[in-house]
Amino acid sequence: MKLFVAGLDSAPPELLFSEFIDDLPNIKKLLSDSVYGPMKSSIPAITIPAWMCMATGKTPGELGLYGFRHRKKNSYKDIWIAHSLTVKEKTVWDYLGEKGYRSIVIGIPPSYPPRKINGIMVGCFITPDSSVNYTYPQSIKGEIEKVVGEYIFDVVFRKDERDEVKEKIWEMTEKRFELIRHFIQTQDWDLLWFVEIGLDRIHHAFWKYFDENHHLHEPNSRYRNVIPDYYRLLDKELGKTLKLLDEDTAVMIVSDHGVKAMKGCFAVNQWMIDEGLLKAEYGNGVRKFEQLDVKWRDTTAWAWGGYYARVFLNVKGREAEGVVRLSEYDKVREEATEMIKSIRGPNGERWETKVYYPEEIYPVAKGDKPDLMVYFDNLSWRSAGTVGWESYYLLENDTGPDDAVHSEYGVFSLKVPGMEGGKVVECEIYDVAPTILKMFDIKTDLKGKSLV
Amino acid sequence: MPEEIEVKIPKEVYEKIEERIRDTEFKSVDEYVTYVLREVLASLEEEEEEVFTEEEEEKVKERLRALGYLD
Repeated sequence: MKLFVAGLDSAPPELLFSEFIDDLPNIKKLLSDSVYGPMKSSIPAITIPAWMCMATGKTPGELGLYGFRHRKKNSYKDIWIAHSLTVKEKTVWDYLGEKGYRSIVIGIPPSYPPRKINGIMVGCFITPDSSVNYTYPQSIKGEIEKVVGEYIFDVVFRKDERDEVKEKIWEMTEKRFELIRHFIQTQDWDLLWFVEIGLDRIHHAFWKYFDENHHLHEPNSRYRNVIPDYYRLLDKELGKTLKLLDEDTAVMIVSDHGVKAMKGCFAVNQWMIDEGLLKAEYGNGVRKFEQLDVKWRDTTAWAWGGYYARVFLNVKGREAEGVVRLSEYDKVREEATEMIKSIRGPNGERWETKVYYPEEIYPVAKGDKPDLMVYFDNLSWRSAGTVGWESYYLLENDTGPDDAVHSEYGVFSLKVPGMEGGKVVECEIYDVAPTILKMFDIKTDLKGKSLV
Repeated sequence: MPEEIEVKIPKEVYEKIEERIRDTEFKSVDEYVTYVLREVLASLEEEEEEVFTEEEEEKVKERLRALGYLD
């Protein structure tokens, strides 16, 4: 048996399985003979680390990956960016390679620099640009360029030229599927797993035109059908691709997290300054956190922005100018948690804010972890690290147009040859690796459950 | 056999290792210590490996910022 895995970054069950399904004939047909359902993502529900949680069956804590960037040795300012070599746990293609199975993996973040595998690896969107070597083996790069011309890793969407963004995302996705079909037809493989990042970019760039309940919704915009049109493109490309697979190939669709409307951004550091947790001054005019003159000796905590907030305590003996004594760490962290959880929305509405402690939610919390992980209003509000705003509540994103945030549930579907009739399952991102390994009859001690 | 030299470690560490490797495939404390040190060194080397040039790192950071991952 072979396995074909379509990774659709940020595909939510609400759209893929329900709202759009009647316009997606190929996916609909596939689901009618699949086990499928919403799939709970990792905490944090972000592209890095979520795809690697899926591929390794390990938690962010075990991977020591809590997002795209991490602090360098408890530094206040220096950061490192996650890349493929920062993943130390075995992926499913590593297990498969040991048994002699051949894998083709395309664009699974982080996959730059390309790592040696038994098969082919094509880099993801953290590849600096197409001039570097982004494939293993290196010779594949030339082949890719013969097939699709210049390969497109990603499209930067936070700009006002929406037509250009749309056009480029279409081109990227069409090229990716062309390459996938080329590999199917010319290579031997047991596992072919790709990630299409275009769906996530389309969601972020065009959500407000599509979602009538979004606070910035523009009715009758000429962009209102971009999101449904893109789903139709995916369905068409998938349909063309599935036709090339033999009957002995299982087909899986997965996403790393879902998507929902962004209600706004919360200026977390500005709030911390006003609450006395962070000692720095800001005046009129928006500034990045890095530009502030922070009085570290009087600072208890500070935060990073993003889809979720990472909050760091300024701990004596750990940070260069730390003040929180280890004996007080738990108390200070609890107090900060209470303060954060009591934050209400711009109209006094109660928020469903979630606060997690890394060492409590993972079997082990390796690496450069934050002290608190915060989902403002269950991710509906992004976290903004910038300060100097008129209010903590920014109705638009602070770093360029972006109308969507992540939601906790992505999708899972699997059709194994011979399977008939659809069946709905509840699953977690940690179940994917055990499922794949079971299909290839490889035993592991991963804690997730196999869905076959 | 590669050339070998002696290293001193505290007795209590030696005894702990003896305890640890009982019923394992390690034949001696020396073999275990060599194995562990090799592992540690390899992982350190990998961590320190510079993947991005300074220019590339700036490019990647700029892109990740523009994509909303580094706000």
